[in-house]
Amino acid sequence: MRYITTIDDREFLIEILDKNHVSVDGVTYQVDYESISEQPAHSLLVDGRSYEANVFQSEKGWEVLLHGMLYLLQVEDEREKRLRAGMGGGPSPTGEYHLRSPMPGLVVSIPVDEGQRVSQGDVLLILESMKMQNELISPRDGTVTRLRVKPGDNVEKKETLLTVS
Amino acid sequence: MFNKVLIANRGEIAIRIIRACRELGIQTVAVYSEADRQALHVRYADEAFLLGPAPARDSYLRADKLIAIAKKCDAGAVHPGYGFLAERADFAQACLDEGLAFIGPKPSSIAAMGDKEVARAMVASSGVAVVPGTEGEGSLNDDDLLALAPGIGFPLLVKATAGGGGKGIREVKILDEMPALLHAARREAQASFGDGGVYLEKLVEGARHIEFQILADTHGNVIHLGERECSIQRRHQKLLEESPSPFIGLDDEFRQHMGAVAVRAARAVDYVNAGTIEFLVDKEKNFFFLEMNTRLQVEHPITEMVTGVDIVKEQIRITRGRQIRHTQDEIIFNGWSIECRINAEDPFNDFLPSTGRISHLILPTGPGVRVDTGVYLGFEISAYYDSLISKVIVGGETRGEAVLRMRRALEEYKIVGVRTNIPFHQHLMNSHRFMAAQYDTRFVEERFSMIGADESKEDLSEIAAILATLVTHQQTQRAAQFIQRGERDTSNWKWVSRWERMHR
Repeated sequence: MRYITTIDDREFLIEILDKNHVSVDGVTYQVDYESISEQPAHSLLVDGRSYEANVFQSEKGWEVLLHGMLYLLQVEDEREKRLRAGMGGGPSPTGEYHLRSPMPGLVVSIPVDEGQRVSQGDVLLILESMKMQNELISPRDGTVTRLRVKPGDNVEKKETLLTVS
Repeated sequence: MFNKVLIANRGEIAIRIIRACRELGIQTVAVYSEADRQALHVRYADEAFLLGPAPARDSYLRADKLIAIAKKCDAGAVHPGYGFLAERADFAQACLDEGLAFIGPKPSSIAAMGDKEVARAMVASSGVAVVPGTEGEGSLNDDDLLALAPGIGFPLLVKATAGGGGKGIREVKILDEMPALLHAARREAQASFGDGGVYLEKLVEGARHIEFQILADTHGNVIHLGERECSIQRRHQKLLEESPSPFIGLDDEFRQHMGAVAVRAARAVDYVNAGTIEFLVDKEKNFFFLEMNTRLQVEHPITEMVTGVDIVKEQIRITRGRQIRHTQDEIIFNGWSIECRINAEDPFNDFLPSTGRISHLILPTGPGVRVDTGVYLGFEISAYYDSLISKVIVGGETRGEAVLRMRRALEEYKIVGVRTNIPFHQHLMNSHRFMAAQYDTRFVEERFSMIGADESKEDLSEIAAILATLVTHQQTQRAAQFIQRGERDTSNWKWVSRWERMHR
């Protein structure tokens, strides 16, 4: 199986040859890979060198926390990659953006109103959690179309707070 | 003399206090909220009693319940830890009124040092310099503050009168932006402390935050245990501390001078028990009194590491009416110690708090490493309390050894289920400026980045790529097998569609 794995602008062509061999851009490595106790903790031996990392799947792709560095990666198999190229690029930056609560907490204030124009980086909502006030910002320009919470509300993790479209 | 102590706190500090009591042969009583039934302090203590629902105001801040529990179980003393009720004079007084010893200073000292205006006035009158500002001039309204600001000079800080822990603080660079920032600081102060009072203070530029640990007994002995360097902060929250301070370093004369001033400040409020005098030190080694913390500090272990004194046990002995076990001359500083505060915060996402259940955990250990924590595998980190989950403390013969040891300890520390700031500390340990001790209180916010460009770190992109690909491959293989089996009660097409709807 051949995969194209991307970090920032760097592409790696990775082929899984068998259980213990992969080739990266044509160079073959002996690997041994174990996930620890069914956890996102992984141990990897590459030609005898030992690495341990936490691997998470997020909305942005794979996140690999390795030696204190967080690597964000996209992994696609060749067929997926060709399909996407045929469709002409990734998802467009339009459509609705639902601001979801990154953690449980208390809505302290909402400095925007429904119908208000917002720019990328504007504060949409202030959420208090673990005794800290956190500013949640807009990832892009748009209009606030729907407020689903009000100041004083307790919200759960991943609860939709408001919509920017 | 008491033989049973109620610990009016939770988390790692409750564990720390239980350990000290155990070593002294004292019985311990834990208290807990509904969210903490499974917490370690409940399981470590000899007795444990429920306070109430999870929010602190219904549990750990309920002075009446704490005192009732202490009386019911015949505890002779209360240790408040830090935070919660630790610096509330009325709570200390209520304990004394009920015949309970309070393991801390006298209520009058807490009140004097808790009101920052009174504290500055008292300390200034004993000849200790304070930072220029409007503290000590009473509660001023916005118009007065705006009129006084140019006299103090910009940049300046707006700070909450009843503040602490970085709440209600705003930095003002020019007069024009001051009204809005005053409003924000008052709002935050009101929300955090129930008191919207604020004051102005000159911002000391290039400042280092250096504090002295004090011990004082009821026999009139007051000593200091040297300094802690606490300049690594973010939003006025300390993240890393070290002792001794690399800024004072080998200048023992300066250390003893500052220490003597700290002792004088403690004597000025007739202080008893453990306390900390915080100073701001500028580049020319001018130092100003900042505030006194009338409690055990989060970062006390680094002082224990370099002096060998068990501060919590010393607190208990002092409360039992004993003399401090050491004179100033007997306090010798050995080697170097560093503490990293491990918070449930995501350093790659603007330090947003992270909650969740710890599903995998390996704590660092080995030579020269101490970990103070209240969590364990399977513990749920909730949003109710602060985000400190553990403290990693290392000691070494030299600063260099301590830094390398901390690097090693952080690499050993494995935790899954909640995001932590461990990578932040790892970046810090690799930063050339940190290694050279070239930092002040603005360093983290202004000259430090998680995407370290000037760091000579090995690039492991290829390893990360192999790993992510192997994880993806394994997932795809499993999914393929899963669908092929056809053991589901419905067709695979229906199942996939249902799965997709669920994850939309």
